[in-house]
Amino acid sequence: MKRNDLYSKEERVFKDKNKIYSAQSVKQIAYSTDARDFGQVAQSVPCQEACPAKTNIPGYIRCVHDKRYGRAYELNRSANVLPGVLGRICSRPCEAACRHGEPDNGQSVGICHLKRSCADLKPASHRIIEGLYSPTDKKVAVIGSGPAGLAVAHDLAIFGHKVMIYESMEKPGGMLMYGIPEFRLPRDLLMLEIKNILRMGIELTTGKSIGVDIELAQLEKEYDAVVVATGCVTPRKLGIEGEDLENVHNGLEFMEAINEGKTPFVGKKVAVIGAGFTAVDCARSAIRLGATDVSLNIRKTEEYMRIDESEKHEAQFEGIKTNSLVQPSRIIGDGQKVTGIEFVRTRLEKIDTPPFRTSVRIKNSEFIVQVDSVIAALGQSPDVDTVSKDLKKLKRQDDQAWKGKVFAAGDFVTGSTDVISAIAGGRKCARRIDEQLNGEKRRQRVVRLEEHKTTDRPRAFDFIPKLEMNTIDMKKRLVKAGNEVETGYIDEQAFEESKRCYLCNLKYEIDPLACIYCSACIDVAPKDCIKMIKDIPMNPDGTYGEYEETSDWNDVVSITIENANCIRCGQCLAVCPMDCISVTKTELIEIDI
Amino acid sequence: MPSKDHYVIIGNGPAGNHAAAVLRKKDADARITIISDECIPYYYKPKLTGFITDNISRKDLLVLSLESYAKNNIRVRLGQQVTRIETDSKTLHFDHMEKIRYTKLIIASGCNSRVLPSMELYEESLKFVTSYTDVMEYKDQIKNAKEFFVFGGDFVGFKFLRMLNAMGKKVTILIYPHAFWPHNLSDAMLDQMVASLEKMNVKVIVRDDIKQIKESHGAYQINTQKGIEKKVDMVFSFNGMIPNINFVMGSGIDCDHGILVDEYLKTNIDNIYACGSCAQIYNPAVKSYTTSIGWPNAVSQGEVVAQNVLGENKVITSVGRKYFDLEGVKIKTTWWKDIDDESQL
Repeated sequence: MKRNDLYSKEERVFKDKNKIYSAQSVKQIAYSTDARDFGQVAQSVPCQEACPAKTNIPGYIRCVHDKRYGRAYELNRSANVLPGVLGRICSRPCEAACRHGEPDNGQSVGICHLKRSCADLKPASHRIIEGLYSPTDKKVAVIGSGPAGLAVAHDLAIFGHKVMIYESMEKPGGMLMYGIPEFRLPRDLLMLEIKNILRMGIELTTGKSIGVDIELAQLEKEYDAVVVATGCVTPRKLGIEGEDLENVHNGLEFMEAINEGKTPFVGKKVAVIGAGFTAVDCARSAIRLGATDVSLNIRKTEEYMRIDESEKHEAQFEGIKTNSLVQPSRIIGDGQKVTGIEFVRTRLEKIDTPPFRTSVRIKNSEFIVQVDSVIAALGQSPDVDTVSKDLKKLKRQDDQAWKGKVFAAGDFVTGSTDVISAIAGGRKCARRIDEQLNGEKRRQRVVRLEEHKTTDRPRAFDFIPKLEMNTIDMKKRLVKAGNEVETGYIDEQAFEESKRCYLCNLKYEIDPLACIYCSACIDVAPKDCIKMIKDIPMNPDGTYGEYEETSDWNDVVSITIENANCIRCGQCLAVCPMDCISVTKTELIEIDI
Repeated sequence: MPSKDHYVIIGNGPAGNHAAAVLRKKDADARITIISDECIPYYYKPKLTGFITDNISRKDLLVLSLESYAKNNIRVRLGQQVTRIETDSKTLHFDHMEKIRYTKLIIASGCNSRVLPSMELYEESLKFVTSYTDVMEYKDQIKNAKEFFVFGGDFVGFKFLRMLNAMGKKVTILIYPHAFWPHNLSDAMLDQMVASLEKMNVKVIVRDDIKQIKESHGAYQINTQKGIEKKVDMVFSFNGMIPNINFVMGSGIDCDHGILVDEYLKTNIDNIYACGSCAQIYNPAVKSYTTSIGWPNAVSQGEVVAQNVLGENKVITSVGRKYFDLEGVKIKTTWWKDIDDESQL
């Protein structure tokens, strides 16, 4: 009997409950590949769905709650190989999607801070878990040791392939090492997590540029597959007069210089141009270099900045001003050095397709600001030509690109995104390569379903306010530029914050055959989540469309819980006189085929 | 035919009430609702210091009585807070879970006290004088307290300082040059201000910053970065005002520091307008965006917005260059009328 057969698609109930593998016989577990289950998980667990790497967020938060930090770390690591790193610098698409942050529900859960807690609070004797396949004698070269390259290398090593990483810089890590400042990401932690990847038998060659020191064609001859994961390193230019003056820095190069231990000149008054993480990192680094008047200059408003609230707050706390609705038009100098910058005011305007807010210059609104230096952090694009001109010919699909033996992943394919997307892209790429080298797929995503008796949390937990991250004071930030600003949650804080998670991975269902339609559950539900319906349309991806509600008893087909609206308060479960509401723990996992 | 419009005004200050008055005058049948998170009818905010010292009674503080709203057929919802605006369905959500619909919405929610990022940790120890609700909470406490510490400065702060001085209280002030947002004080301005304050027997601290505020048994111990230690009964913060627009965030209405409006006080969303000190307008005269402050500006913006809601296209114009006086230091304002000029009320 295939494991999937244990879960009947027709009846949607567990069959043969006692005959599942003996070790799990008490637990009643099933693995499903039914589109409806994938759809249900996608719709009901918004944080996991928003995470490019599909991290089991409610799962690890529950482990933090149970103080099983090691297990929480491993749950993270099974989706992303750098949990401690991402727990500090992730762009947190999960938090934006968190149901706790929806209107009237309060603030989203501090998912990223809890991820960090897994790494910080796991016992010193914690052992990482790797499910290794037998060696295959296949060789793969990975170009670039940034997040995408590391993820590809790690997963290929797990699959039993021999991996060599080529890194052009002195140290591995790519953007993590050279783009992100140390006060946000301590280098000893970064190196520890990189070493945990490299110890899978992966070899690392640093200081070698492919396309300069070694030709790509050479690698293609020597290896069974080559992965290009060189990221985005070509900075976008301002394209205005005066850009080449002394003390006009490019954001990425500025961060690189600082991360190499240099001290580029910033002076006292600094204008940073840009609205992303790099711009804020540059501004905060300028403060640490002794600047006293640092401004972030953005074309739109703060709402459209590509950074999260805590980053905005830290920048503000460090005295950085944000000038919104401005666009640089000219950099002014004395012939050699920058002395000022001219801006124009902008206003927001709507673009209909695709719906987007753009900024438009306001005529005759030029004004000049005196500055000692300008840092332009406008993002970067992939450098396609350096590695090989042939790379333009790669076949592209979503975040993947390949042709013959050559594969590409991460920002090189997608353009500048975030670390978690690069890792997710890297992992996908590794699976594609393995399939090609191995001749068939070895891993498959399934939904693990486990009967769960309780809701695991009282309703009172819904009202716990969000816990802010602990940080060091301004004096300590300035005394040594590398001092990490955020210090992490202590054990009790992590526990308290973990209580806030709704545990959306718990699926609530009403058995329509046992239900007596007393409506007691509807009466106690704090949200509009239990509905009397006449129909639910199903989308091709297994998700539900809009519930067709009815208040006419003659039309009621079922009373049902809309899991996408449910905040898992458990009130319905407590009040049901027929005990016809079941809780099932759903988990998106990967298993061997 | 009676108008089917429901004009909803968020804010019960001069902008909101003058808008309501114009709307009522020109559209006798429309439903008009004013929403306020305070539990008092329209009152003179600049007279709050006089109310603290009992020179003014609650009745004198009021501009309108509850009866006068009823007389004008204006529904007033007091003590209710809008938490969210759904622009597609033209619905307002309240924190008590009620929802109401509008056909046209005027946001005139005014300002709140600005808390400096460096002081956020101590917010619970800080007191503000921004509303009747604040004042009612502290009025007796102010009378009984002897020693005060004031952070920042700003116009209201100096007025409060003069009031405390007249009451014979001991006051220490730590002036933040950036409390006068959007203006930063120059060193010369600061020195002039200090000299003027010291004549008033106020202890002044400059070029220093907060280290910590510790509360014990209802009193506060303040330590500054440069080592000054002070024990006081009450701590106040006056660091300028910021538009009260949290409930607008996420609604799709464009906001910067305030709600972005064009010269007709229209937001980017149809049928939603903003006026008074919560609105931010591009002012070609200064090549910058400004938020207006002061009672007379709020009144004129309220009147203009009402006319535009009714289909006119009235442009809000700059009202000339003025100066306001902070303890002998003149700060130039280019958009604002004299603020807090009670003679004009």
